[in-house]
Amino acid sequence: MPFQRQGLQGMSKFQSVEFFKKKKNEYSLLPFRFERLDNQRRVLTNLAGEYLVINEGELKAFVNHALEEQSDAYINLRAKHFLVDEKSEVAKELLEIKLRTKYSNLSEFTALHMFVVTLRCEHSCPYCQVSRQSDDKLKFDMTEEIADKAIDFALRSPARAIKIEFQGGEPLLNFPIIQYVVEEANRRKNDKNVSYVIATNLALIDESILKYCKEKSIQISTSLDGPEDLHNNNRPRPGKNSYEKAISGIKMVREHLGVDSVSALMTTTRSSLNRVKEIIDEYLAQDMEGIFLRPLSPYGFALKTKSFKAYGVEEWNKFYEQGLEYIIELNKKGVAFKEYYAATILAKMFTSQDPGYVDLMSPAGIGISAIIYNYDGVVYPSDESRMLAEMGDKSFRLGNVLTNSYEEIFLNEALLGPIEESFAYSVPMCNECAFEDYCGADPVFHHGVHKDFVARKPESQFCNRNMSIFKYLINRMESDQFVKELFMKWGQPHA
Amino acid sequence: MKSRLLFDENVYSIEALKKASYRNIANYSVVIKKEGAQLECLFSFPVKTSDEKVLEYLDDFKREVLDQDLREIIKRETEGVRNLILSHAFSKTGLTGDE
Repeated sequence: MPFQRQGLQGMSKFQSVEFFKKKKNEYSLLPFRFERLDNQRRVLTNLAGEYLVINEGELKAFVNHALEEQSDAYINLRAKHFLVDEKSEVAKELLEIKLRTKYSNLSEFTALHMFVVTLRCEHSCPYCQVSRQSDDKLKFDMTEEIADKAIDFALRSPARAIKIEFQGGEPLLNFPIIQYVVEEANRRKNDKNVSYVIATNLALIDESILKYCKEKSIQISTSLDGPEDLHNNNRPRPGKNSYEKAISGIKMVREHLGVDSVSALMTTTRSSLNRVKEIIDEYLAQDMEGIFLRPLSPYGFALKTKSFKAYGVEEWNKFYEQGLEYIIELNKKGVAFKEYYAATILAKMFTSQDPGYVDLMSPAGIGISAIIYNYDGVVYPSDESRMLAEMGDKSFRLGNVLTNSYEEIFLNEALLGPIEESFAYSVPMCNECAFEDYCGADPVFHHGVHKDFVARKPESQFCNRNMSIFKYLINRMESDQFVKELFMKWGQPHA
Repeated sequence: MKSRLLFDENVYSIEALKKASYRNIANYSVVIKKEGAQLECLFSFPVKTSDEKVLEYLDDFKREVLDQDLREIIKRETEGVRNLILSHAFSKTGLTGDE
């Protein structure tokens, strides 16, 4: 007999079926933000940056506490910490841990220290803001005195592991100072882990330099803009052989230092826009594991030089998406190849570890993630802010290693002001944007283009470009299981 | 070119209208006025905007207002737990003021 009376209490031994049905409002919302993916679908992100796509009706039902517990949407929302019920009581604690992990790098600043060892360069790239066609070593080379001070600053960083990157101009034109910095930093580093990389066009690489690099485990980063004609057009030098030098240099570096010791970066000029497949093919031909499709900085010489007119966000997005589609196609054919900008964003989507990419950080990565010591001792919080200074805008000049202390540099209002003002949590539109976790503040870009560390986001090229990429990546994952698995691999390479 | 939309104050907040307007600032400007229980949005579009585009923008604006309305509900309901999570997350990082 299923419903037996229990005497005085007047209660049934078994509760009615209705009792066991979950009441629709017995869940609480956890903090989340959402954006429109299209007219039907919304993408939701929680405090830890995990995302979920649901339709408009499901979102309304969810917010109005009318979502059925058995529905797929409910199960997914609970699994990804968008709601809490009696089956998911640890959700808040998990979010706390993920959030804390994500911001842990803030106390581990500054990881990347760029030393501009000379402004001299034998190339004359029209979009380059900084290099000088000069033999005047005294005027444009970093001295030992400046290098010494910059090493002190670098080793003073709270970060346990730092990377020193040698830049120019063409840094190999002042190789003795590179050797000096490596020797001195190694001698003074104590228990800090210091790694080194030279950003070079490879035109001047030779056996003796490579021997030294091997001995000191120095990595090489170079430039490769695509096929020979495109690369040489972008990067003029005497002999018109920049491509040939780069390719033979890559080969030499690999022979001496190993296949993985050289990486390449590209610059997208207007001439690159309709050649993305050829550019990727060139990277494949050079046995690169991936490519970083990155736009030209839209300020400085890039705007001023007529032959390199800047391009708009729509043209860039078309280029980028065509490139990514081609890379997906290659992977579907069994050719493992990666796009690094997407991989950086995907790492933010799928892990709690921030990749520390300066442009995609909030608080802004300037000074926190990277710092640059110019040849003359002047310190800037990013490479782009150095470029701005070369064009006459010294808003981000933090001081000089010869005359200012570490505290004066890092507590300078020229650094703290933009970081504070541009913090996305308190910026109009960013503070409610579902993609805020994947994006960055980039006050240098916004100052350079809009003369404002924050700018109106609907008018910001940075915002429009990144919003488009975030939506594209999510759309592709939602529509193709292969792409989802591929992108998850890119985002979690160590999983 | 100008257009007008009316919203019932009992249903929509001025805040939602302001946020929806800001999001579209690159395409048009909006002046919001209160007329009795009605909230009036007066849109000004750049001269070159086609009639078709204006209709598209207005439809999009209405959808955005609804989204903003939902965001307000979510924010109200989750504000307490959001602050709790943030304070716990940063309580041992040396980044909060009272340490």
